[in-house]
Amino acid sequence: MMKCAEVRKFVRLYLDSELDTKESFEVEQHLESCAECAGLFEAEKKFDQRLGRFLRDDLPTRTLWEKIESQIAPSRSRGIKALWPVALAASLIITAGAVFLARSRPLDLARAVEECHSAYAHQITTPEFSGTVPEKIVQQFGGRLDAEAFAYRPSERAFTSSGARLCHVEGIPVALILGRCAETPVSVIVFEKSELDHFPQTKRKLESGDPIACSRSGRFQFAARVVDDHVVCVVGDEPRPALEDLLKTVRRADG
Amino acid sequence: MGQDEQRFRFLSLLRPIERDLENYSRRMVFERCDFEDALQNAVLRAFRAFDRYHDDASFRAWMFKILTNEIFAMNRKRGRVAQFEIAVEPQELEEFAALDFAPAAAGPISWDALADALDEELLTALQSLNQSERAVLLMRAIGDLRYREISECLGIPIGSVMGNLSRARQKMRDAILRARRRSL
Repeated sequence: MMKCAEVRKFVRLYLDSELDTKESFEVEQHLESCAECAGLFEAEKKFDQRLGRFLRDDLPTRTLWEKIESQIAPSRSRGIKALWPVALAASLIITAGAVFLARSRPLDLARAVEECHSAYAHQITTPEFSGTVPEKIVQQFGGRLDAEAFAYRPSERAFTSSGARLCHVEGIPVALILGRCAETPVSVIVFEKSELDHFPQTKRKLESGDPIACSRSGRFQFAARVVDDHVVCVVGDEPRPALEDLLKTVRRADG
Repeated sequence: MGQDEQRFRFLSLLRPIERDLENYSRRMVFERCDFEDALQNAVLRAFRAFDRYHDDASFRAWMFKILTNEIFAMNRKRGRVAQFEIAVEPQELEEFAALDFAPAAAGPISWDALADALDEELLTALQSLNQSERAVLLMRAIGDLRYREISECLGIPIGSVMGNLSRARQKMRDAILRARRRSL
């Protein structure tokens, strides 16, 4: 078993995922049993999270990327008359590709919440509380969230929750309910419906008659719908139909 | 592979990392107005060299390497950096570890109380990093690259990656301590 001095030597490498499985396991084992090292580890994790937020917060500038992508050389035709069937086929492929890419691009909200869930799935995020929302957390809502947001849960039996925490997605306060479906981590993210303006793609989709907006972002599936005055999202490494079914069972505990 | 197919494949690899590339470029260039040109040049250069990219390598690491070269060239033109600085001795693991944990040792931090003061101090600290410290920190924090990948990108030993990363993080930690003093 590793000792404190050894673990402290390795903690930074552990956080950077540079240790092998055996060393990682030994660090984890020590952290479970040593409050002092666990405290230092938590402080480092917070530092990483805060620095990460500062460094990677900006969303990509769409107009810039459209300009850059448009400059990636399209095909050049050699004698248009002779090659018009090829040109036509190529343009059809490009159109189909563009449609496929547009469809396969993650929704804005899916991209925004991916990081939240990823941090949970990698055990960087842990619950702050379970049960009633503590007053000190309510004070951080800044009038943009209510405690009811933390009362949503899927009624699906396979879903279990270890607790919740307050998070910020694109600066918006959200309730993050940390759960599992069997062994798979699943996050339920709830925020005020009025904040949907920050995610125009998702808003359009939900207002176009689809009760559920689905997307994939990174390796996670994402599904969202409006329940009462809130937007409820579920994110996880689960098949899309399973995630949609789970979302359909989400209810507010008090109602 | 046809050019259209190549373009399609290139874009499907590029799009998921556009945000990280842009954040990296914005924070790496010494003159703010250079970040768009650096991105544009890097993407076009990468596309032209795409037939030399192999699937078994990380596209993310490959793109970061090309973008980094582009940014270094721009920064050089601005006359701020004569050449790539590797003024580092490879650090021993002991030293790498010993530099850490300073803020934790100074007591718990109330992040919310620091708010804007913290962003200001972090920005000042980021600007104070030399080019190699900044590149290593951003490749790790934004690019999510492994030490080995960073070492290959910059052509420096892993020990230097760790040394630069350690010093860069220490400067960012000092910024947090300054922000905390300001908020008291």
